[in-house]
Amino acid sequence: MTGTATPRITRPSNGADEPELGVIEAIRAGHEVRSVIHEQVTEGDAVLNIEAFSLYYGQAQALHSVTAPVRRGKVTAISGPSGCGKSTLLRSVNRLNDLIDSVRIEGDMLLNGESIYHPRVDVISLRKRLGMVFQKPNPFPMSIFENVVYPLRIDGEKRRSVLEEACERSLKGAAIWDEVKDRLKESALGLSGGQQQRLCIARAIVADPEVLLLDEPCSALDPVATLRIEELIHEISERYTVLIVTHNMQQAARVSDFTAFMYLGRLVEYGPTDEVFQRPRLGETEQYVTGRFG
Amino acid sequence: MQEQPTQPETQAHRRVTPPAARGGPLMWLMGGALAACLVLVLGLIGLIVVRGSQTFWPKAIERVEMVAVEGGEPEVLLGRLMETDVYRPDRDERARIEALNAQGLLPQSVDPDEPLERILLQVGNREFGAAAFRWVPLYEVASRSRPENTVVLERLEWGPFIGSVDALVFDRWLPEDEALFDERPASTDIGEGVATREVRFVGGERRVLERVTVPLVGEEGFRAFEREVRSAKDRRRVIERLERGERSEVDRRIGALNMRVRRAELEREETVSDDSSMPFWLWGGTTIASIGLLFAGVRLRRSTTDPDHPGRVKPGGFLASLMIGVSLAGLFFGAVDHPWSGPSMSEERLESIRAEHASEVERLIERGEEIDARLSELRRDDARFRVIVTDARTGRFAPEEVGRPGEPMRLSQIDRAVRSNALDFSGRLGVYFDRWAQFLTDRPRPDGEGGLLSVIVGTVTLTMLLTITVVPLGVIAAIYLREYAHQGFITSVLRIAVNNLAGVPSIVYGVFGLGFFCYIVGGYIDTGPDAPAARTPWWALVGALVLAASLAITLMGAGRRIPGRPSSRAASACRIGAGLLWVAAVALVFYLVAATPYFGGFFRAEVSAGQPVFGARGILWASLTLSLLTLPVVIVATEEAIAAVPRSIREASLGCGASKWQTIRRVVLPGALPGIMTGAILAIARGAGEVAPLMLVGAVKLAPQLPVSTEFPFIHGERSFMHLGFHIYDLGFQSRDSEAAQPLVWTTTLLLIAIVLLLNLAAIVLRSRLRSRKGPAV
Repeated sequence: MTGTATPRITRPSNGADEPELGVIEAIRAGHEVRSVIHEQVTEGDAVLNIEAFSLYYGQAQALHSVTAPVRRGKVTAISGPSGCGKSTLLRSVNRLNDLIDSVRIEGDMLLNGESIYHPRVDVISLRKRLGMVFQKPNPFPMSIFENVVYPLRIDGEKRRSVLEEACERSLKGAAIWDEVKDRLKESALGLSGGQQQRLCIARAIVADPEVLLLDEPCSALDPVATLRIEELIHEISERYTVLIVTHNMQQAARVSDFTAFMYLGRLVEYGPTDEVFQRPRLGETEQYVTGRFG
Repeated sequence: MQEQPTQPETQAHRRVTPPAARGGPLMWLMGGALAACLVLVLGLIGLIVVRGSQTFWPKAIERVEMVAVEGGEPEVLLGRLMETDVYRPDRDERARIEALNAQGLLPQSVDPDEPLERILLQVGNREFGAAAFRWVPLYEVASRSRPENTVVLERLEWGPFIGSVDALVFDRWLPEDEALFDERPASTDIGEGVATREVRFVGGERRVLERVTVPLVGEEGFRAFEREVRSAKDRRRVIERLERGERSEVDRRIGALNMRVRRAELEREETVSDDSSMPFWLWGGTTIASIGLLFAGVRLRRSTTDPDHPGRVKPGGFLASLMIGVSLAGLFFGAVDHPWSGPSMSEERLESIRAEHASEVERLIERGEEIDARLSELRRDDARFRVIVTDARTGRFAPEEVGRPGEPMRLSQIDRAVRSNALDFSGRLGVYFDRWAQFLTDRPRPDGEGGLLSVIVGTVTLTMLLTITVVPLGVIAAIYLREYAHQGFITSVLRIAVNNLAGVPSIVYGVFGLGFFCYIVGGYIDTGPDAPAARTPWWALVGALVLAASLAITLMGAGRRIPGRPSSRAASACRIGAGLLWVAAVALVFYLVAATPYFGGFFRAEVSAGQPVFGARGILWASLTLSLLTLPVVIVATEEAIAAVPRSIREASLGCGASKWQTIRRVVLPGALPGIMTGAILAIARGAGEVAPLMLVGAVKLAPQLPVSTEFPFIHGERSFMHLGFHIYDLGFQSRDSEAAQPLVWTTTLLLIAIVLLLNLAAIVLRSRLRSRKGPAV
C-alpha cells in the first residue's frame, strides 16, 4: 500500500474503464480530498448550506470539512458505508450532538441563511424548525393523539380544535390516518413497527418543519413497511425538503432527487441521483453504488 | 460386534449433557434457598397473624382445685386458660414429685422422668397479691371444671378480675336525722335485697348512707348485672366527655390567656430597651440610592457580558455585580429596618391588656369551678352503684380501691364483663368483634389496655408527613443529580455519600434529629437565635452574601459550556470559582439566618413559662428525621428509574423542539414514575416500621392529644405522638406485667403489619393505575 503517497485527485472516469481506487486510498491514508460536487446541486436554491463542517468526538475526527448545499423542496439522500459519518452529519443539523459532552465542531451550517452554530442561537427554537425521524421508531408512551400533537403541546397550544385539526392533517400527511382514526386515544405502543414509524413522521411534520431529517427511517422495518415509508417520502417531498440518511443504495435511488456519497467522514461525490448512479464521476462511487465495496 | 444395532448410534446420540452443564444441582440449591426464605417469612407472618388474632377470643375460665400438698386447705384457682404445654421438669421439681409420690398425696403416681403437662392460667385479681399468671402442673390438680357463673371483668385499672358476680349494691345518701339500722329486707326493681344504714363523714359532714345489697341469682341476675354495667358505662362516658371537653378547654384557654399577657410583657421589655429605628431621611435616601444603583448595575451588566467568549469577564462585569450586590443589600436592609419597625408596647396598653385578661381569667376560673362542681356531683351519683364480685382463691370481693378493701367496686370501673363459659359460639364472636372494635377506635388507657386509636392516628400521620416531605425532596434531588449536574467527580462523590447514608444506623439519625431538629431548629423557632449578631456586622455579611451571589452568577455566565466548542481553561476556572462562591453563599445564608438580630422567635412567652413549643420532641421533627433516614432510598430509586428511561425517546422529545425541562417533565418523569413510586413505597415501608429514632424524637408512651385535630392548623407538628412500633416495644418490655401484655404485643404487631401493608397496597394500586394510563414503559 502506498501510505506515503501524495493525495491524488482522481480525474473523472469514463464509465466502462476499470476505475482506480485513488480517492479511497487517499482517504484511508488520512489525506484530505476535494469532494466532487455536480453543478446541478449548486445551481439551485439551497435551504440548508453546510459550510466546511468538521466534527470531533474527543480526539477522533468524525466529519472532515464537509461542504454541501441541500436543495429546497427536494429529497436528498446521504449514503455511504457504516461509520462514514452520515448520521453524525444529519444529527448535526438539529444539534442533537450537543448532548454529547466531548463533541467539538468547526465550521457552520446555515438554515435559510441563518447560522445554526452561532453561540447566540436558541437551540430549542432551531429544533422546532426541523423535523426529525430516527432509525428505530420511538413514539412516546402516550396516546396516538398526544404523540402527534406533542410539538404543539410543548409550544403551549391548548385549543382542542387546533390540536385535533393539526393531528388529522399530519396523520393524513403521513398516510396513517385511515388506520388509526378510530383509536386516537389508545397507546401508540400498540401499533406495529411500520405504523409507529409513520406516526413518528406525522409527529415530525405536525409543526411544518423547514427541513425533514430522516435517519435511516426504514432500517428497523420489514420490506412491506419499508415500501410504504418510501411511498410516503415521495408524497411528502412535494411539500417538504427531505434530508434522508440511508445505507441502502437502492433506497437512495428510489426515493431521492440528489445523492451524496460519504466515506470515512468525507463527502466524496454529490449530485443528482440518476447521474450519481448511472454516470458517477468517480470510479469509487460507481464501485459503491454497484455494490462492489462498502 | 454382531450385537451392534443395525443403525450405529451417532456421536451426538451418545453424548449426554452433564448435570453440571444443565445447572441441575444449582437449580435445586436456588429452589431450596427460595423455599427457605419463604418458610422464614411466611412463618413469621403466620405466627403474628395466628397469635395476634387469638388475643381477643374469649377464653374458657377454668376452676382448678389443687391437691392439698403442704397439709393445709386445698388451693382453688380460677383463671382464663391461656395455654397448654408439655414440659420436662427440672431437677428440683423431679425431687419434689418423688417426695409427693412417696407421701401418696397425688391422685395418681407420676413418673418425673416422663414429659409432663401443665396449663397456663391467667388468674388476674392483682390486688390480692398473687401473680397474675400461674403455670399449673396437671399432676397437682385434683379437679377441673368450667363453672358458668364465673365472669372476667375487664376493668379500667388493675387489669382483669376473675370471679363470680354475687350481688349488686345500691347506695343512697340520707339526711343525718334518719334512723340507723343494721339489716332490714328491702325491695328494688331488680329483686329483693337487704338494706343497711350507717354513718359516714363526707367532707367533714355527717351523713347517713343507706346501702341495699341485692343478691344475683342465675341467668336473670346476670342479665340485670349486664344492664347495670351498661348504664354505668353511659354515666362514665358523660363524665369523661365533660372532663376531656369543657373542663380541659377552660384550662387551655386560661393557659392561652396567660401566654398573651406574658407575650405583651416581653414586648414591653423590648420596647423599653430598643432604641433603634433609623430616621426617615436616612431610610428614604438609602432606598432611592439602592434602586438607582440597581438600575445602573443591570444596564452595565447587559453591556459587558460576552457570550461568544467563555471564560472572559470584563472589568465592567465585576463592577456591575458589585453595584447590583450593594443595591440589593441596601433594599433588603430598608425592607427589614424601616423607621416604623420595632416593637411598640406602651405601659398603658400593657396595663389594659393585663386588666382585660384578669377579668377574662376570673370568668374562666368561675366556669371551671362550676364544671368541677358538676363533675363531683356526677361522680357521687356514679359511686352509688356497686357490685360484689368474689375472688375464688381468697373468698374476698373486689374492692373499689386497693387501700380500702371494705368498699366494693363501682360498676363504672368495669369496661366489659365476659361470662365466657356461658357463651355460645355467636356470643363469643360478638365479644371478639366488640373487643376488636374497641381496640381500633378507643383511646389508650394509662395501663396499656384500652384502644389504640391514638397510636394508629399517630403512626398514619407520621407516615403521611414522612411521605410528603421525603418524596418531593428526594425526587427533586435525584432529578438534579442525574439530569442537570455535570457527571463528573463531584457527582460521583455525592452519589457514594448518598448510598452510604443508607447504612448509617437509625439510632444515629435519632440522635441527630433530637440535637438538630428538636433543639437547634425547634429552639430557633421558639426563641430565635441564642446569640444574635450585632446589626452592623450582620449587615456587612448580608452585603458580602449578595456580592458573592452576584459574582457567582457573573462567573457562571462567563464559564458556561458552549456545545461544540472546547472548554477553555479559563472557563473551567470560572466554573470552579462560581461553585466555591455558591458554597460560601449558602454557608453565609445559614449563618445569617442563625444569627439574625431581627428574629426573636414565635414562642418566647411559652418558653419563659417552661413549655417549649417546637423546641421539644414532636411529630414534625420525627417525620423529618425519618425522611432524612429514608431519603437515600428515594434518591437511589429515582435516579435508577430516570436512567432507565431510554435515550431514544428523550431524543425524540428534544428533536421535537422540547427544552430539557419539558422533556423531563413530559417524557422522562412519566416514564420513570413507576420506578419512583417503587422507591417511595420502599421508603414508606421502612419509615413506618422504624422505632429506634422515634424513641428519641417524639414518640411517647401516652400522648395527651392526637397530632391531628379539627382546629387550625389541623396537623400539629409540635405535639408528641404515639406510634405502633414504639407501642410494641413499650408493651413488650416496659410494662409491669409482661406476661399479660404479651397477647397484646402480638395483636399490635399484627396491626402494624396490616397498616404498612395497607399503605403499600395503596401505593401499588396508584402505581398500576399510572402504568395502565400511560401504557407500558418503552
